[in-house]
Amino acid sequence: MKLFLCIFIFSSTIIFAQTDWQKWGKANYSYAVKDNFHKRDLSFDAKNPARFVLKSLLDSYWFFISDVDGDNCAFSPTCSNFFLQSVSKTNLVQGTLMFFDRFTRDMDFIAKFDFYPRVPDGHFYDPISLYTLNKNEIKYIPPSVIVNNE
Amino acid sequence: MKKTIFLILCYCSILIAQSVDQQNEVNLFSPPNIKKFADYLFCSHDYLRAALEYQRYLSTNHNDTVSYKTAIAYSKIGNYSKAAKLFASIDHQSHLFPDAQLEYYKALFQDEDYFGLRNDFINVDLSNQFVLSPRDKKLFYFSYLFTNDKLPSENKFLSHFEGTDFQRVKDFYSWKEAPPYKSSLVAGILSAIIPGLGKFYVNEYSDGVFAFLAAAALGYLSYTDFKAEHNFRGWVFGGLAAGFYAGNIYGSIAAAQIYNVKIQFDFVNSLKVFLNAKNYFIPEINFCR
Repeated sequence: MKLFLCIFIFSSTIIFAQTDWQKWGKANYSYAVKDNFHKRDLSFDAKNPARFVLKSLLDSYWFFISDVDGDNCAFSPTCSNFFLQSVSKTNLVQGTLMFFDRFTRDMDFIAKFDFYPRVPDGHFYDPISLYTLNKNEIKYIPPSVIVNNE
Repeated sequence: MKKTIFLILCYCSILIAQSVDQQNEVNLFSPPNIKKFADYLFCSHDYLRAALEYQRYLSTNHNDTVSYKTAIAYSKIGNYSKAAKLFASIDHQSHLFPDAQLEYYKALFQDEDYFGLRNDFINVDLSNQFVLSPRDKKLFYFSYLFTNDKLPSENKFLSHFEGTDFQRVKDFYSWKEAPPYKSSLVAGILSAIIPGLGKFYVNEYSDGVFAFLAAAALGYLSYTDFKAEHNFRGWVFGGLAAGFYAGNIYGSIAAAQIYNVKIQFDFVNSLKVFLNAKNYFIPEINFCR
């Protein structure tokens, strides 16, 4: 009987032994904060004088202030990117008005959660297409939705 | 010793035992078994795999009930165009044809093919293939609420609805006839009078408060700087105040447009919720009893 018990325990141990050793291998996690400033397009834009001046100012802002300060804008695209995109999409006057409006909304720290959907990294999604005054471009996305804007 | 050997043999035979009876091997891929498996998947709400198994069955057999269930499965997983095609393929002689016809309209509706749905209704009505009951016409009239076409008269529209649905549908009709949109012009004018008021008009209260504070604070700084003869700072703050003021007028106009799109979106959503709750006015057949 003892022999049987020994064989039983031994064979059971072999049968149910853990073979999936990979499960217990070392995980290669990286806890480094992903920096976004490497993705910056810091090139000069010489299409016209206005864009050259604007892009140079924004490049300087990104290089000397924003990247040093860190990822602090609550929105995606960030306010500076929003400014650049809105001027590119419309014109300098309309783009500037869009930027001032965006900056006002950025100051509002109360109602963002109720109005804007989020992108996966947690920023509030607020594309320029909503503010060009072209009704056909407005696509409403409820705040409960996670937008993948990659 | 004998007892031990006996026990070891028993133990080994259990370990090595085959679960499949190889002598009486079953063809799991015979059409009746495929159908059984598909039915099981269908009743387990695994509609994607059920549809694929039904299609496999239909490749060798013709069965209206299976075609109907395949179409239902496709409809459940959101493949409405495929569902519509399958519902349309149900034989006119089949006992499922009247339900399939309604499900076909439902699939067109869910596929947002409202014009196709209406054309089909009109063609069926004209051809006198079969008589459309008032219940069948509900979807036809409901499709007008999803498009910008001219609405039929209120009496004609509501005559197809009764009971608890009547008031709800009447509300939908009234909304569609006179949507509670906000005027971009009014929003802009209000923000020009008092910064932020246009945002209040479109229910963005905190944005309105911050717009007012930004314009007012910068305007005040500009005023005090000019008063103290700090002209450069006065111009800087004055320029920023003007920027925020003009930006807020622009933003209020944009916010009114966004508000209108949002309430249209909410309206369409509430219509869809209502129709889903009513199963698009179609009696549901329970195949899984």
